[in-house]
Amino acid sequence: MSTDSTVLSYWSWKKLSTLAPGLLLFGTSAVWAHHVEKHLRVDPHPVITIHNPNGTVTVKAWTKSEVLVMADHNSMNIEVAVVQNGNRVDILTQPIANSVAPDEMRADMQVNVPEDAELQIHDDSGAVTVNNVLGDMNVETVGADVGLEDAAGYLSVKTVGGSFQCTRCAGRIEVSSISGNFKLLDVRSYHIVAQTSTGNILFDGQFLPNGTYHLKNYSGTIEVRFSPGDSFDMNATSLKGKVNNEAKLIPANRPQSSSPRFGNTLFGTLNEGRARVDLTSFDGTINILKRSN
Amino acid sequence: MNSSMNCENFHSQLESWLEGERTSAAESHLRSCHSCQAIVQDLDAIHSAAQDWSREEVPAPSTRVWNSLKAQLESEGLIRAHGSAPAEESSSWFDRLLPSFARPAMAGAYLVALMAGGLLLSSPGSQQMADQRWMEGTRNTTSPVRTELDAAETSVASYQPSDPVVMASLHKNLGIVDNYIALCEKSMQEEPGNETVRDYLYTAYQQKADLLAEMTDHGDEGR
Amino acid sequence: MPEAEAIRLAQQGDAAAFERLYQLHNRRVYSLCLRMVGNTAEAEDLTQEAFLQLFRKVATFRGESAFSTWLHRLSVNVVLMKLRKKSGMETSLEQVTEPDEDSGGPRRDFGAPDLRLSGSIDRVNLQRAVDQLPPGYKSVFVLHDVQGYEHNEIAEIMGCSIGNSKSQLHKARMRLRELLQEVMRSKAREERKAAGSGSGVED
Repeated sequence: MSTDSTVLSYWSWKKLSTLAPGLLLFGTSAVWAHHVEKHLRVDPHPVITIHNPNGTVTVKAWTKSEVLVMADHNSMNIEVAVVQNGNRVDILTQPIANSVAPDEMRADMQVNVPEDAELQIHDDSGAVTVNNVLGDMNVETVGADVGLEDAAGYLSVKTVGGSFQCTRCAGRIEVSSISGNFKLLDVRSYHIVAQTSTGNILFDGQFLPNGTYHLKNYSGTIEVRFSPGDSFDMNATSLKGKVNNEAKLIPANRPQSSSPRFGNTLFGTLNEGRARVDLTSFDGTINILKRSN
Repeated sequence: MNSSMNCENFHSQLESWLEGERTSAAESHLRSCHSCQAIVQDLDAIHSAAQDWSREEVPAPSTRVWNSLKAQLESEGLIRAHGSAPAEESSSWFDRLLPSFARPAMAGAYLVALMAGGLLLSSPGSQQMADQRWMEGTRNTTSPVRTELDAAETSVASYQPSDPVVMASLHKNLGIVDNYIALCEKSMQEEPGNETVRDYLYTAYQQKADLLAEMTDHGDEGR
Repeated sequence: MPEAEAIRLAQQGDAAAFERLYQLHNRRVYSLCLRMVGNTAEAEDLTQEAFLQLFRKVATFRGESAFSTWLHRLSVNVVLMKLRKKSGMETSLEQVTEPDEDSGGPRRDFGAPDLRLSGSIDRVNLQRAVDQLPPGYKSVFVLHDVQGYEHNEIAEIMGCSIGNSKSQLHKARMRLRELLQEVMRSKAREERKAAGSGSGVED
């Protein structure tokens, strides 16, 4: 495997402003002082790690056996280092001066990867977006929101306050947060574990046969949407809050205040009960709603 | 017979030579060139010394390594009690968090046994006993966890954050988790036998431990 | 408990399973760390760190490679990170594995008189010379010549190609030769001084 890397540098804003005005018209709305671009050839199933404390990270799949990194930052006291070691590419935003202010550590980057790439992403604040990547991924943020679209594989996401939205994803999804909200839209996953403390959880996807779906929060709302043809065993418990149900479950849901001893509990089976759904909230509201289509 | 290969050529083939790929030209050069012979012999000597080194017995690491590792894994909630199976309905958080202390599952087993015997739930007295055991068990197991987390929180308070904005977000979320710990503990007082509340309590402890670890990382970067 | 069973149970958080995995692999990991850093206290810390990272990630192990390869990859990474920090600067991985000519890459010194190393390499000098290698060279040399890994295993552990592994090993050995020759020259100079030689002739 060979490495083919190209680094391009652009002028700083100061120099750019002296050029013909026409040059200022093209490009994005933000003008960055430093731009890095690197192309690296990789073999199938490369591992891409991205450590970017602050800024947006966008990862997109393409058909080439290459990784393309395009990164922008303003501070001259930091760099976006891109290092290849075999079939692994490490992208790291790091200080290069002794003293760097926190707000200087910002870089925005777009990374194009083969669709079977495995991703490991750490971004404290900003936003992380991943599109069309089918390899396993592990994303950790503090406040950065995470958006996955058309992703598959083993998807593991952990935020402290950042929200999580997963659209048309497949595979296995495990997401946890303290105060982030979750939206799982049009997902086709056989195993979902979603746990947040104060955030809301919305699940509007497919219940696959033998799939398991565990949605849990302390407070906030858990909302699950179903169609009459879906098939699941449902167990929904809110210790101090309400459980609102539109599904015709068998056996019929018991009166909410009776045993088990604690909380408001609903359980039953829809159709053949092929999937398993567990919804738990401490004092939030659980809504099981029929799709209106 | 003069070799058709010079030293520079031989050096360029040296790597392959040492891997066992030998050409007649290289062999011929080596027979006549003392300098290249010296290099090959030196590299063989280094390889031989390395093999002698590899044959030296390396003792096992001291027991401190496993003890420290085990303590760290326990504090992170990655391992659960040796030889004890988790209660059927409880999540694994508690089990992973406190492997070495008496477990409320024992109180749960007592509860189940009494139910099977038809003795429980028939009189407030029996329920009270079960609840008391439950509470005691929970208190015994969570007390050391709280102590550890309090110590970690004190330590973290002294760190210089690498990013105040991120640290502020972490502190805010720590407040959220502390609030839930308090709510769960209050609920445990009101409903001592509630396994779901206990599960939430242990999850909250785990979240607090994770947050403190994250704050430590950010504090370390700032030091 | 067989390894596969221990892995499965460890993924569920079983303490005995973790201990079993530790028992199975700790000596090899420790041996690698000790040979890379040269002192027992640091090697023990690195061993602990490698297993800690392993056990944190064991839930994600899906058997694409041998478990031991996965562990040793983690161990090598832990050691390399340590060596990079020790060098006092953020060394890029490229520098770790591909030092430039000025920082000690192999020199070609044709025709210069050579000091023969055969019979004069003791373990202490070899360890000292290995300690002076750039981290990437050191890893490949220790993994191959000392720990006995094959190039295909090293390639998987280090995340490089087999060709890369062979090339790094050759460069490591050439560099070791230079370092050990320098040790011999120093020793010879000391011996001459001690013998009261006044010629001051250098090699």
